[in-house]
Amino acid sequence: MKAVITGTGWVTSTTMGHGRNHDRFEMRPGKLPEITRKDVFEKPYPHFGRLDRYSRLGLSAIAFALKDAELNRWTRKQNIAMIASTLHGCLDTDIDYFSSTITAGGRLASPHLFAYTLPNSFLGEAAIFFGLTGASFVISEPSASGLWCLRMALIGMVGGQFEKVVCGTCDLNLPPLISETNTAPCGALFFVIEKEPTRQHLAYGKLRLDKKGILKFDDEEIENLSMLAEKCLLAISNKGMD
Amino acid sequence: MREVWITEAVTVTPLGEDLKQLWTALLCGNSAIKAISRFPVQNYHAGIASCIDDLFVSGKRSMAHALLQRLIQQFSPIPKDTLLITATTKSGIDNLEKSQRGIPAEHRDIMISAVYEDLHRMLKLEREGMNISASCASSTIAIAQGAELIVYGWTDAVLVCCMDLVTEFVFSGFSALQALSPEPCRPFDRDRRGLSIGEGAAALLLMSKKRARQEKRPHLATILGWGAANDASHITAPAIDGCGLQQAIKQAMAVAKCKPSDIAAINAHGTGTIYNDLMELKVFNNIFADHPVPVYSIKGAIGHTMGAAGGIEAAVGILTLQENIAPPTTGFANPEKEAEGRVQAESIPIAGDYLLTTNSGFGGINAAIILKKGSMQ
Repeated sequence: MKAVITGTGWVTSTTMGHGRNHDRFEMRPGKLPEITRKDVFEKPYPHFGRLDRYSRLGLSAIAFALKDAELNRWTRKQNIAMIASTLHGCLDTDIDYFSSTITAGGRLASPHLFAYTLPNSFLGEAAIFFGLTGASFVISEPSASGLWCLRMALIGMVGGQFEKVVCGTCDLNLPPLISETNTAPCGALFFVIEKEPTRQHLAYGKLRLDKKGILKFDDEEIENLSMLAEKCLLAISNKGMD
Repeated sequence: MREVWITEAVTVTPLGEDLKQLWTALLCGNSAIKAISRFPVQNYHAGIASCIDDLFVSGKRSMAHALLQRLIQQFSPIPKDTLLITATTKSGIDNLEKSQRGIPAEHRDIMISAVYEDLHRMLKLEREGMNISASCASSTIAIAQGAELIVYGWTDAVLVCCMDLVTEFVFSGFSALQALSPEPCRPFDRDRRGLSIGEGAAALLLMSKKRARQEKRPHLATILGWGAANDASHITAPAIDGCGLQQAIKQAMAVAKCKPSDIAAINAHGTGTIYNDLMELKVFNNIFADHPVPVYSIKGAIGHTMGAAGGIEAAVGILTLQENIAPPTTGFANPEKEAEGRVQAESIPIAGDYLLTTNSGFGGINAAIILKKGSMQ
């Protein structure tokens, strides 16, 4: 099972951007930036400011990844799937929503906020904005590696379910209600993976999945999504890609 | 391609402790949708839902834990190398409600992975799996992904477990969206006024044909095809033209290598909202234009069980095929024009071995599965 990575984008506590822009990448614990529309999108996107923080985070990283893979501009809807991995999902939004709801015995429940109390809502937002019509779902796995999204993407490609997949991870810091200490890395990091390498000039390298579930990027084993991003960026600098 | 069998199917719903009770109640046209006593409803647009009456919680745990315990009581032994995939939209969100009201609550139950972790621990499984969340298509997609993992040799056995609860969190949200029906929902009825939410859980054990035969497991059904697609249209409303559902069904039929005339019945999402039902009927009438395939929805009986809907409906679909009977669409009385001749208020006999079951959800997601009748040997 193999595919080609053609794009990567991220928003972390210290950096945001995409691979082909030679932006710096690191994913570590810390406060995430307040993302503005202008940080990510060139054209007006009035709805962006109304999104919850989790959706803005995920949507922004997906936007960077699609831009990196030159798939951000479209005139016809594109059959691209999305698989995201998350540990906490939209818990932050859940807390905001229910806080506002119980204040007045339910009278002030926000329909807008409720729409984003699903961990996969931001994928719907990305689907609308970029015209992506493939399957879209969110995975939560016990390990923090986030690698199941890549495995599912590659397995789905073998069966013909997917041709192109945007996959990655999205997590805000754990809200104080749940945890006093935020030590896990947070942020969003996405990749564009393509089954058929029709656009060789965009290829970072090959992603392979063996029968034991081991994922390799250009024959080197990867242990988590951050490691994959680092290897992609190294591949760019080695190849001297634009 | 390896064949994927469903070898066990169990449910816990407001219409019964097990699948047999649910099936009997469905055929009788019963409905569990009634006045809510779990939380105050005076400020919401409706006051009814389909709740499991005696779903009690002990200590700080979520009702999700109690529901899962009742579900696993029904399991026959699950092989330890089974890969677990759970599906839920809100996990133990009742514990967030408690926490925000200052009531002691186990916070780990709130996490989206809580259902997975709870079940994995209870079943003492060796392999690591995952939870899948895709709005109200969560369990349909979980079944599809589970089948895919078996087909391509990743594993021999997958246990798909799904659940969701009726909570004030979810109820208030659908109320704010003005999506709730003040009376029990009436899918595909001309006078439908919205949806009724429900709770429940289901589990389906998927196995490769070879493994199932080795273990002498019953062959309840074969998962023949699956597909999923996004409308890319609206965050809470379906696309008027049903483009995503159409794409998902066509994909499932292509995987199943079947044609519209092969389908004996359709388990529709059938929520009872104006737009969902119209969208579905448009798609069914388009794909099955030349075939009078019966369509039914069980949401008038057990409500919309959200992330659990696809799993519960697949379990009911197995019995639909085994008994050659499409259950009635409870609450359906005056057909929407497009539903005439397809949807029935009574159970009807069906002829054929294939069933299509579909679900759609927020974020524009749609999913479809095609089941083939099992041999039961």
